[in-house]
Amino acid sequence: MPKVKIPRKSTAVDMTAMCDVAFLLLTFFILTTKFRPQEVVAIDIPSSTAQIPIPDRDIMLFQIAPDGKVFFGLDDQPTRLKLLDRLSAQYSLSLSDKQKDAFRTLETWGMDIRSLPAFLEKTPAERATAPQAGLTIDTTGGNHQVEDLILFSRQENNMLRIAIKADKTTEYRNFDKLINALQNRKVNKFNLITSARAKRE
Amino acid sequence: MAEMNVSGGGGHKKDKKVRGKKMSTRVDLTPMVDLGFLLITFFMLATTFNKPKTMEVNKPAKDDIKKEEEPPIKMSKTATLMLGKGDKIYAYVSPDEIDETTQISLDSIDYSPNGLRKFIQRRQNEVQAQWGNKDDLFIMIKPLPSSSFKNIVDALDEMTINDVKRYAILAPNDPIDSLIALRAGQSRK
Repeated sequence: MPKVKIPRKSTAVDMTAMCDVAFLLLTFFILTTKFRPQEVVAIDIPSSTAQIPIPDRDIMLFQIAPDGKVFFGLDDQPTRLKLLDRLSAQYSLSLSDKQKDAFRTLETWGMDIRSLPAFLEKTPAERATAPQAGLTIDTTGGNHQVEDLILFSRQENNMLRIAIKADKTTEYRNFDKLINALQNRKVNKFNLITSARAKRE
Repeated sequence: MAEMNVSGGGGHKKDKKVRGKKMSTRVDLTPMVDLGFLLITFFMLATTFNKPKTMEVNKPAKDDIKKEEEPPIKMSKTATLMLGKGDKIYAYVSPDEIDETTQISLDSIDYSPNGLRKFIQRRQNEVQAQWGNKDDLFIMIKPLPSSSFKNIVDALDEMTINDVKRYAILAPNDPIDSLIALRAGQSRK
């Protein structure tokens, strides 16, 4: 007897289209992504109707925590190294290559410059959790640490723009101290980082 | 797709039926899709989508301040906002001439559209009526040290919203300012 075959419908679905979509999205995300930088301290920024997006490159970022501690960050790794060289000359720090490399990958930091070597000696995991005291802004005793940071960074990269990211609840006095230091170094233009808010009418 | 339907056409010869099996060119794409979505998920979570915006602030250079003070602005064209603790604003308008009998009315307002915005708009209208151009209004923003960063951003933002052409951030150094700070129980230091 001849077999009568009932053609079975395959349950396999054509995946080509889905694959196309998946990779299209993937490409989009890869191209648009900018990794969230490691946060030393949580900062809740205020919102404003300002529409200017923050530039991608050449940024010197000061972060002010709610308690007034100030943190410093440069986006560009070669400039960070040059800055470190200048700082170690000014504050007579002696740093090993390993410590320099640790500084190169340091996104944000805030402490007295003289305590940098000890901090850089730590393992990356220890650094992530170690408490930081904030930059020394006080200028008592001819100590101009923040001003040196500003001056040296700008000398090494004259395209640098200054951005200030401060917490909503930070008291104005902390902000004012930083502005004062900036103005002492003839920086009169800076960007306050805010999140976008719809324009209310 | 690349399959041909070889349903018997009726009068074909029987020996033609025996053919070498064609290998399908189709590949199972399921694992590739899996991988694709896995990576998408990763990038979606790792990405920062909302790029923060910036507000540009220009302060006069410290050396220039003295030069700018030479042609004093008429006080009747100005308004002063003192930003205080607890999201309060003390707003006042001082007259051109001040002597001991001068009375200055002080508004205590907040950052809501009914507070600060109303005050600015009212002042713009007054300057418009008196001087014929509302852009003559000069707003002095004087943050007390105990006000928050959000306050200064909100105040600057309000300048943009109301299209105030001339404003400045100043230290609260006036005798009037000290009086207000004292009365409000907020230190200038």
